Amino acid sequence: MKPIHFLAVVIALAAFTGAARADDAKTYTNECAACHMAYPAQLMPARSWRAITAHLAQHFGEDASLDPATLAIITRYLDANAADARGGNRGAMRGLRGSDTPERITDMPFWRRIHRDLLRPGIGTGPGIRSAADCQRCHNGNGEGD
Amino acid sequence: MKSPLLLLALLLAVPALAATTGNPARDAILSGYAAQAKQANPGFTSFSAAAGGAFFRAHPGTGNADTPSCTTCHTNSPRNIGHTRAGKDLRPMAISRTPRRFTEPAKVEKWFARNCHTVYGRTCTAQEKGDFITFMASQ
Repeated sequence: MKPIHFLAVVIALAAFTGAARADDAKTYTNECAACHMAYPAQLMPARSWRAITAHLAQHFGEDASLDPATLAIITRYLDANAADARGGNRGAMRGLRGSDTPERITDMPFWRRIHRDLLRPGIGTGPGIRSAADCQRCHNGNGEGD
Repeated sequence: MKSPLLLLALLLAVPALAATTGNPARDAILSGYAAQAKQANPGFTSFSAAAGGAFFRAHPGTGNADTPSCTTCHTNSPRNIGHTRAGKDLRPMAISRTPRRFTEPAKVEKWFARNCHTVYGRTCTAQEKGDFITFMASQ
C-alpha cells in the first residue's frame, strides 16, 4: 500500500471511530436518562460500571434490561469514559481501594468527602431532595432520554 | 363477494381489530397485538379501554415491593407528569398529552417487558398490552 493510501485509510478509520464514539454517548444518554440523569461515566471506575451493566434486569429495584446490541454500545462507552480510563478523572479515584467496586456514585469516597451534608439522615424522605441520587436537584441538568 | 351479509360482517369486523388512534405507527402496533390476541384466544374481538385502565391502576402484588402499581411512577391519572424513583419526571402516558407515545414498536416492547416484570412479576399478554394502549389513547 502506498503511504498516501495508508494515510487515507487511517484518517477514514479515525473519523469512523470518532463518529461511533459520539453515537455511543447519545445511546448512553438516551437509554440511561430515561429514568435518571445520565450519570457521568467519569465518576466511577470501569469495574463499577461493568458490575452494574452485568445485572440490569435487577437495577436498584427496577428491570432496566437492554437488548445485547445496545448493552454492548453502552459498555463500550462506559469503558472508554470511566474515571480510571485513559484521560479519565483521577480525582474521582482518590481514596478508592483497589479491592472495592462501588455500584453507587454515593458510595465513592470522593463523593462522600464533598457531600457530607447529604449523608445526614432524612435526605430523600422530605419534599426537598428526593434522593442523594437526584444530582440535578442541585447541579444543572443533564439531558433528556427515553 | 357472494353474500352481502359476508361483506357487512367484514366491514364490521375490520374496525374492531384495527382501531384507529390517530397515528398509523401506533395503529400498526395495536393491529399486531390484536393478531397475537386473536391467536391466543379465537374469541378475541377488540381491546378494551376500561380493562386497560383497571390494569393500569391495579396493585397485583406480584412484582417488586418498590413498584406495586403502574401508578407508583405514572400517578393515578395518565394525564399527569409522573416521577421515577430516581427523581426524573416522566412525560404523561396519555396520548392526548404526549402524542408520540406508543409509536415505536421496539420501544413499546422494551418498556412492556421491563415494567410488566417490575409491577406484575411476569410478561404481559398481547390482550393486556392492547388494552393498555387503547386506554391511553382514550385519555
